[in-house]
Amino acid sequence: MIANIKKYKELMYFLVHKELRIRYRNSLFGFFWTLLEPLGLMLIYTLVFGYIIQLDKGVSPYPLYVLAGLIPWTFFNNSVRKGTRALSGNASLIKKVYFPREIFPLTMLISNMVNFIPAFALILVLAVVLGHPMQWSELILLPLVILLQALFTLGVALLVSILNVYYRDVEFIINLVMRAWMYMCPIIYPIHMLTGAEVSSTVKDFAGLYFLNPMAVIISLYHQPFFPDQGPEIKYVIYTVILTVVLFLGAWYLFRRMNRRVGEVI
Amino acid sequence: MEAIVVNNLTKHFRKAYDKTLKGFFISLVKGEKRHQEFTALNNVSFQVKKGESYAIIGKNGAGKSTLFKVLSGIIYPDSGTVNVHGKVAPLIELGAGLSRDLTGAENIRLNCAIFGLDKKTIEEVYPKIVEFSELEEFIHTPVKFYSSGMKARLGFSIAIHIDADIILIDEVLAVGDKDFKKKCYAKMNELRDSGKTIVIVSHSMKPLRDICDRALILDKGKVVEVGEINEMIDKYQSDKKTKKKKKQKGA
Repeated sequence: MIANIKKYKELMYFLVHKELRIRYRNSLFGFFWTLLEPLGLMLIYTLVFGYIIQLDKGVSPYPLYVLAGLIPWTFFNNSVRKGTRALSGNASLIKKVYFPREIFPLTMLISNMVNFIPAFALILVLAVVLGHPMQWSELILLPLVILLQALFTLGVALLVSILNVYYRDVEFIINLVMRAWMYMCPIIYPIHMLTGAEVSSTVKDFAGLYFLNPMAVIISLYHQPFFPDQGPEIKYVIYTVILTVVLFLGAWYLFRRMNRRVGEVI
Repeated sequence: MEAIVVNNLTKHFRKAYDKTLKGFFISLVKGEKRHQEFTALNNVSFQVKKGESYAIIGKNGAGKSTLFKVLSGIIYPDSGTVNVHGKVAPLIELGAGLSRDLTGAENIRLNCAIFGLDKKTIEEVYPKIVEFSELEEFIHTPVKFYSSGMKARLGFSIAIHIDADIILIDEVLAVGDKDFKKKCYAKMNELRDSGKTIVIVSHSMKPLRDICDRALILDKGKVVEVGEINEMIDKYQSDKKTKKKKKQKGA
């Protein structure tokens, strides 16, 4: 894979560049949408979930909490959704000429990452503006968290992109799954809500399983520098790292195998 | 030395492939076969020497395009082996894939990048490609506004300039105008003389006589015969005629 990346560096650069340009073409604010979109969502969520439904208990300031979870989630969400169409959307090219097809999910991930990094800086800016204290020791570990998330996302993207070539149903399933997945992550509510006094006993019974969701762990890792009590236990972090590696290797293997028939079924 | 060695190549296609999970489960429960097999290539073997121009001729549905795709690596054979020595450049249709909004210039960069050229080399060959295609005026126009002749010209220009060892040409040339065709044939002869291998898949016979050295006749996925170009074309055309006669008699 590494050798391929080196050889096709130019192609990947071209594809990422094109992807980014197309995304913001004909839009007045262009690249600023990367920042405007999460800010807008933050406002909506703060209004709806903070003021109306009042999920903001124990996390203050709530807008910062929402933004710190929402931005990494948007990165994951966009990458997976776009990832489903990474191969099937490029069918005409794939049918015409051969080059390593993993380049498509990979460039899609990279272009989403290019959008993610400045949006991520927005969290820091907001924290500074609000005068919120930050744990510097954990803040410098965030690049590792980003790397972990990128690897996990790439694993999922490889999997859904190749499956969608064979069964277009994957696209519809993914739309639904991603919606459910978002609510299974601590984005609009703090994690202690799951074990709090006022929740139903069913929720409490399943609260122990909550961190088996790797995205819940990853999102919590993003919260940690700003809200130290919102971080996951270390055992769940280790679990997520192992799961990510296994998922990536499994997805890679499956991609390689299923790739053989892509040229004819796409 | 051989540029392409194909041994006992067989390729089946699955007909009526059901692309939904629903269909998949229904047939799974019923225990029926989920697809019908159709043999596109049946035990095909041949060799192309380095520096040779080779034609693959046959009727529609003979398996030419499938063979072409296997050679360029787009589809995998079910059994048999394909050994290609050197870099292969299939002449691809432009505006295919990606966004058709890309301009001619962007398409050149993209296609060069697809064949693994680095930035420096791309900058080097770019003016040559533009010049050969005679599209200087329209090079910054999106390819979707190109005529099919213009697309073919640009596609051909790219394929011959990326310094591949083996050039695969599918019948794209049929669309260019007379002058450009002449230019292409001259260029192909030049390439062949400089030691490149050219494989042409076609059913327009006339130009093949000038360009190619040898030919392979494909019929219903099987190799009928391999031999010197003129001999093969004569044979192919006489076969066609006798078949036609037979049909007329039958009617």
